[in-house]
Amino acid sequence: MYVEFLGIPRERAGISEMEVEAETLGEVLGELSARCPGLSDLITPDGLHPSLAANLNGDEFVRSLDTRLAEGDRLLILSADAGG
Amino acid sequence: MPFGYHGCYLRIDVGSGKGQRVPLSDDVLRQYIGGSGLGARLLLDENDSRPHFPDPLSPDAPLIFAFSPLVGSPLTTSAKFAVVSTSPLTGRFNDSLASSGFAIAGKQCGCDAIVIVGRARALSVLIIDNGDVRLEPADDVRGDACAVTEDKLRARLGANYRIASIGPAGERGVLYATISHDGRHAGRGGSGAVLGSKNIKAIAVRGTHRCDWARPQELTALSRDLSKRSFGPATAKYRELGTATNLLTFNRFGTLPTRNFQSGTFEDAERISPEELTTAHARTRASCVACTIGCEHIYSLGNKGVRLEYESLFALGSLCGVGDGDAVLRASQRCDELGIDTISTGGTIAFAMECVERGLLDEPWLTFGSGDAMLKAIELIGAREGLGQLLAEGSRRAADTIGQGSIAFAPQVKGLEIPGYEPRGLQTMALGFAVGARGADHNRSGAYDVDFSDKVDRRNATLESVRHAIDSEDKAALMDSLILCKFLRRVFEDFHTEAAGMLRAVTGWDVTADELRDTAQRIVAAKRQVNLLAGWTVEEDTLPERFLNTPLPNDPEASLSRELLHELVAEYHRQRGW
Repeated sequence: MYVEFLGIPRERAGISEMEVEAETLGEVLGELSARCPGLSDLITPDGLHPSLAANLNGDEFVRSLDTRLAEGDRLLILSADAGG
Repeated sequence: MPFGYHGCYLRIDVGSGKGQRVPLSDDVLRQYIGGSGLGARLLLDENDSRPHFPDPLSPDAPLIFAFSPLVGSPLTTSAKFAVVSTSPLTGRFNDSLASSGFAIAGKQCGCDAIVIVGRARALSVLIIDNGDVRLEPADDVRGDACAVTEDKLRARLGANYRIASIGPAGERGVLYATISHDGRHAGRGGSGAVLGSKNIKAIAVRGTHRCDWARPQELTALSRDLSKRSFGPATAKYRELGTATNLLTFNRFGTLPTRNFQSGTFEDAERISPEELTTAHARTRASCVACTIGCEHIYSLGNKGVRLEYESLFALGSLCGVGDGDAVLRASQRCDELGIDTISTGGTIAFAMECVERGLLDEPWLTFGSGDAMLKAIELIGAREGLGQLLAEGSRRAADTIGQGSIAFAPQVKGLEIPGYEPRGLQTMALGFAVGARGADHNRSGAYDVDFSDKVDRRNATLESVRHAIDSEDKAALMDSLILCKFLRRVFEDFHTEAAGMLRAVTGWDVTADELRDTAQRIVAAKRQVNLLAGWTVEEDTLPERFLNTPLPNDPEASLSRELLHELVAEYHRQRGW
């Protein structure tokens, strides 16, 4: 699956997307924390910092670390306050 | 009189050039706080003896600058003021907010609001010096851009004056002209046209009247804590990238209004994104007075800087199909100089472009994607020349003139052009747009926050969406009355409790979070009362035909039926008790 970064997460990650092997949201976040040091302070054992949000394929916003992910899914990581 | 207030407003008839202080009761101040709330109350009081509101551009129509109890306090982002009137663009309630030193200096004139009525005999500068009022000729700043006017008047009057002014568009009565101060604009709804109709080019204020705080030590501690939190992750987006970074996010979600809302994705979004603009234009940051966030991102263009927000970027970029970053920056700069609202400017031009595309308007040069055409249209609007006469009236009136069913795709609600949120893909926001007292606006309903969360399905609104839309509208009304910047909204863990604490420290009132929830509803109801007296009917609480029953072309799942929207609006009214 792929992770796309938008806004502040992109700024912190330094890239716009990356490929990750993971089956749950929790596994993805663990991978991101390890591979993107700039994001590590925004990822806690409980999940994403409240200032960030995760969305699956542009459809559903997800928070539970147990959220199942399928091959080919695209997880979007963005600032939680998308407007302004 | 409570702490934090002067307990009066200054009522000025610019026809006679005289001002008088009018007392404000403690009850009114506590019930409406300040800013938008106090402005709405004063607007109703000004029209108390009339069955209907006067034409917004008539001398009788009041224009109100309302301050707040928090202005002048050390609370971050509190240096803000509201400009309240009926709107010449919509004929309905209008409150537009701006920031910086004018708020502090205006309140230091010894008043909680300034109410302006009448019409000066010639174009004038209204000067309020510690509460003393006089008019001076404005011939030397006639036709000048807002920033130039401020520079000239400070040179004439003294550097300690703070000045709010209109640009050439306000002088010429463009219906979405702004009032500008220190580079910021009270932008929406045409308050600049109202000031222009009173023959006032600028208002210059200075004063020495300071308010005492009820609990200074507690206020200082609260302010320090809030400032500290305002440096954290909750405001990082605004501080580090600015709102313009929304562009690529909205494009990714298919909710970036493009070519007059004919699409939710723009193929040139990357080209005009702040990430790309920064490669060709140096970017610096600035902040309003008394703000620790520093959200303003200023791009170099020639030897000048251009403030660029998401709303300007979408309206003058994707909405007009313009993928040329230089053209977008130049257009934003010209809107600032002329003193016109970028959202209404872009929305009206995009509407005209679609009319040309459909053969309804014989202006073949005005095509989607042409930065030159957009810039030409902006100049015509500012000068009210040629096609600009029509476009200066906004998209709804332009559609009324063009006819042929064009009102179906005029991008407006109650006459106010829709901001950069595609309603079909953000349906809680769609409801917020439909019911907004001043028309479609993202600052009076932040319901998009809910759409970008796991609380709702953004493409399938339900009756549950109504509660979220009401909560968002109430919260915005409260923030606009306290006044605090909405970019702080995610800093608060419990906004109402924290806001009550701030008000207690400033005023000494025993105000609670629950009282503030009631206050917010009262303020929203006051805005509605203005609209009722101005002729509002429930049929106005809707969206243009384009958005109803026709799916978003780039996202067939994003569809909003007329029946559902009407059901949501009816439920909104029911829950409001209206």
